[in-house]
Amino acid sequence: MNSGHIDVPASVLIPGQAQGVALVLEDTLSFWGGFNPANGEIIDVHHPQYRQRVGGKILCIPRSRGSAGTPGGIAETLRNGSGPIAFLLGERDVNIGVGVLVANRLYDLIIPALEISPADMARIHSGDRVVIDQTGKVSVHSPAR
Amino acid sequence: MQHDASAAHVRGVDSLMDGIALQLNRLDRDRLDGRLGEAMRFAMEAIVTAARIDRADSLIDIGFAHIDACFYNGRAHLDFVNYMLEHGATLAVPTWTNTGLVSLKDLSVRDPLASPEMDEARQLMQAYVRLGCNPVWTCAPYQLPGRPGLGEHIVGSESNAVSFYNSVIGARTNKYGDFLDVCAAITGRVPYSKLHRDEARAAQLMFDVSAIPKSIRDNDLFYHLLGHVIGRRSDGRVPAIVGLPDACHEDDLKAISAAGSSSGSVPLFHAIGITPEAATVEAAFRGKPVQETIEIGIDDLQKARNELGENTDRPLAGIALGTPHFSYTEFQRLVELLDGRSIDRRLICYLTTSRHVFLLALERGWIESLEQSGIRIITDTCTYFSPAVNGLQGKIMTNSAKWAYYAPGMLPVEVLIGSLSECVESAVNGEVVLDDWGSA
Repeated sequence: MNSGHIDVPASVLIPGQAQGVALVLEDTLSFWGGFNPANGEIIDVHHPQYRQRVGGKILCIPRSRGSAGTPGGIAETLRNGSGPIAFLLGERDVNIGVGVLVANRLYDLIIPALEISPADMARIHSGDRVVIDQTGKVSVHSPAR
Repeated sequence: MQHDASAAHVRGVDSLMDGIALQLNRLDRDRLDGRLGEAMRFAMEAIVTAARIDRADSLIDIGFAHIDACFYNGRAHLDFVNYMLEHGATLAVPTWTNTGLVSLKDLSVRDPLASPEMDEARQLMQAYVRLGCNPVWTCAPYQLPGRPGLGEHIVGSESNAVSFYNSVIGARTNKYGDFLDVCAAITGRVPYSKLHRDEARAAQLMFDVSAIPKSIRDNDLFYHLLGHVIGRRSDGRVPAIVGLPDACHEDDLKAISAAGSSSGSVPLFHAIGITPEAATVEAAFRGKPVQETIEIGIDDLQKARNELGENTDRPLAGIALGTPHFSYTEFQRLVELLDGRSIDRRLICYLTTSRHVFLLALERGWIESLEQSGIRIITDTCTYFSPAVNGLQGKIMTNSAKWAYYAPGMLPVEVLIGSLSECVESAVNGEVVLDDWGSA
């Protein structure tokens, strides 16, 4: 694929704006047990992106999984600054949405969370530059590869 | 390609702003407007946000909640409950607590004096007692008296408990994560979505275990491995299982609940002829045809066993039992299997349970005899997560797929899974002892 620009239709779950570099997770993730909220590292040994860190990224993830601790893990990683700057979700994930909402309210953050289709998720690659605006417009810029 | 904000609309996807109308009654509006206080307003905002994410068109009352937000995973947990307490939160329904990170009954398990995090974990648990929760501190609340009924709408949070409540009891809950569980307990309301609704409870694929020899289906390890396989292969669908023995015990169904929610996301499963919404195949599938059947063979179980750890040459260092919390019947079985023998002194052996079951076991004299055998019994918390309780490192054998799935990511351990009987024989002999089928 050559370098290019695509606009991705999205549904706003938690409004906000962000721009940054995408990290696309290849599998679902539990943010409790599979994730260290103190430093934003994936610690699920079964995860294909084991040991990667999500900090500062636009985190693209199919959905969360497993434990009920996901919202707590998300709120904590957002509180201490080790978390993503936005979430693009392949499903309307309540656990991620509530974690983001609580962090935004408790700590005056404006981290957005948006749903995109799995097909569009497949068009975004780690390293792409993503811009999300307040209205839910998502633009993806792919470097040449 | 659309560039304007209505792009999502064109695709037929609603958004927060232009979505499905959510019906709120007058009391809901008062809650949301802040007329019932700031804690209620915040809680209701979370419920409404969840409803919109779920595309629910209404909310419903719940009768019970089992909350997980009492489990510490960072300062945010404490900030949340303190905010609620400071702003006048009260609970609308009976609310029971999941395990905490520390044991309030035995602070030496994870010492609050040893780190600020453990002290905050203790403060968090105490804050939920102040909020009015029933401090049962267990991930297996369904083992306690006072179960919800068939068809009752409740809030479950801990993933094995959600699966057990839905599947084995037939109560109705989605998997409510941290904060939303508490917000539901404060408001008494949840979105009327997913597993609260009839249509979402129909089985969508079948796992057939009839080909597995009966001797294996009667082994407790089978249920852990089966749960692991189902979690891996259900892919978001509601699974049904056919071929489980009639003698299948609630402890076995607990194992499926826990394993399926670790390796995958299985908040509801049906066991044909066993669980309450699955008297027949037709009932489980709610009249729809079975479109896919996956036959489970011994090789699938062996593969699951390998995924959950291998038997390396390293010496065995310890045994971990009771994830989810040990039941009365599991205590009974352990006492029978151990038969008064002692654990090899080189090994450390932990068993986790609830305060309630602990007291029942105490009355039977089992606690004393197991402790004399060298088993350390812990309540209020569990051993599979960090920080490691004393001595839990190296090669650890467990009877729990959930323990085996999570512990290697959080503790300095390598794991091996075995049946309760294999765990007991290994504990007594000080080295791994496997049954025939286990080593097959």
